Amino acid sequence: MSNAESATNQVTKRDIRSAAIRYMFMACNTFNYENQQAPAVVFGLNKVLRKIHKKDEDYKASLNNHFNYFNTTTWMANLLLGASVAMEQKDGIQSKEAVQAFKTGMMGPLAGVGDTLIWVLYPTIMGSIAGYMGLQGNPTGAIIWLLLNIVFFFFRIKLFDVGHTSGLKLITALGDRLNVFTEAASIMGLTVVGALIPAVVKMNVQLKYQAGEVTLPIQTEILDKIMPALLPAVLTIVVYKLIGSKKIGLTSIIFLIIALALACSYFGILGV
Amino acid sequence: MEIIQAILIVALAFWMVLDQQGFVITTWFPSIIGMIAGLIMGDVPTAMVIAGTFQLMALGVANIGGSSVPNYGLATLVGIYVALRTTSDIEHAKAIALAVGVPVGMLGIQLDVLGKILNSYVSHAAQKALNEGKFGKMNRIFWIGPLIFGLTTAVPTLLCVIFGDKIVRLLLDVVPKWFTDGLSIAGSMLPVVGIALLLQYMPVKKYLTMLLIGFVISAYLGLPILGIAILGFAFAYYYFTQKINSTPAAAAAGSGNTSVEGDEFDE
Repeated sequence: MSNAESATNQVTKRDIRSAAIRYMFMACNTFNYENQQAPAVVFGLNKVLRKIHKKDEDYKASLNNHFNYFNTTTWMANLLLGASVAMEQKDGIQSKEAVQAFKTGMMGPLAGVGDTLIWVLYPTIMGSIAGYMGLQGNPTGAIIWLLLNIVFFFFRIKLFDVGHTSGLKLITALGDRLNVFTEAASIMGLTVVGALIPAVVKMNVQLKYQAGEVTLPIQTEILDKIMPALLPAVLTIVVYKLIGSKKIGLTSIIFLIIALALACSYFGILGV
Repeated sequence: MEIIQAILIVALAFWMVLDQQGFVITTWFPSIIGMIAGLIMGDVPTAMVIAGTFQLMALGVANIGGSSVPNYGLATLVGIYVALRTTSDIEHAKAIALAVGVPVGMLGIQLDVLGKILNSYVSHAAQKALNEGKFGKMNRIFWIGPLIFGLTTAVPTLLCVIFGDKIVRLLLDVVPKWFTDGLSIAGSMLPVVGIALLLQYMPVKKYLTMLLIGFVISAYLGLPILGIAILGFAFAYYYFTQKINSTPAAAAAGSGNTSVEGDEFDE
């Protein structure tokens, strides 16, 4: 960022590193079912944004914007947040809409790609190595895993910096090519999300249909015969529509689901 | 000495969840946690055997998309502590660790769900402080989040350290089964909120086919997520290579990201 405007903002390398570490620490530690990682984004960026937005009103508007729903793989988020800071540095509070569009456009695709790489592939590989070595009482695998994590830690700080210095340049230079990339990432992301529904959302009906001598377990003999993971699919569609309708708040949806789960458990409709 | 070990174990339990959800250095995966717990307890080999057992149980259990999974790290930590306090025989220690660790790890799911619910209020309180112009207060409120999550693992560990595993069993006995089961059921239904939210921001209508393909392969064929991700990558790669050559690099106008690039060209 070498133009005259950013000189007055006085955002230093140190500010960027501190923002990266603040976000990385908080990441999912304020995770909630409502705006998920958004509080961590605000916590991470609030110091550096204070330097950028001198007027209280601008600062509030910017942070309120970052309080909007955000969720992606935390490792990838560094890249997005670094670029977001650069955008706000350049255009001030006018960049609000662009920052929001950029973050929401990229987080979904990146979550699909990043979660599988970082939370499935990496722990599966390291876990099998360290686990088998562990069975022999050998901590070598665990030590290697720990050291790799430390390397990745510094790499992630670097990612934030890369996002800040060249993320935006890259994005503007790529132009429509970026859209091709985003679309491609969306394709992979949606394939993974589609797979996540039956893999992560579980509902097991315990009821049995009884007619004279015949007992028919509803889950295995009826529902699964129609379609496996039928109920999770229906639940996903219902919740998706409910959120889209904006008639009911997220908190209410969450409590409805918990109440439904408790009631179904009490009456023995659903089981673990 | 025993007191110091106990304090360090509880502190590790508190740190473990914060690190897993933040820095990702020590993580809560059984191998690394087991090694550190072994160092604290002064018996790394036995600790590694217990950790290895839990690690292999935990393979393929990933808490992605905001889902809650049994906390195998917590299971490992509590298992190692109780086992090494009770016996020095490896096979015996493994049995004790499994018997103690598994129920505690299951309790971890329910506390994790609780933590994520409570954090909604943390977020609301912080945003309220922001809009009142109390920026320092907002910053302090955020720290309640890690405090809650730290306690979700530190409290069960502390109880096990003080009372052994009996207290956890008692807790699970006193609270009616339908209630703990209900929370576990809620825990396996609630990720739907995260998935549905994410879908709001993705081009679902345009690429519904991909969503359906992923669903079918997972639900009907039971292929692991990683395999499906590779398939997804294959589709994405094909699309990318087909499109990229027919798209000019610098044409910025008329795209989905107009607002981003529009600002550039206004200068």
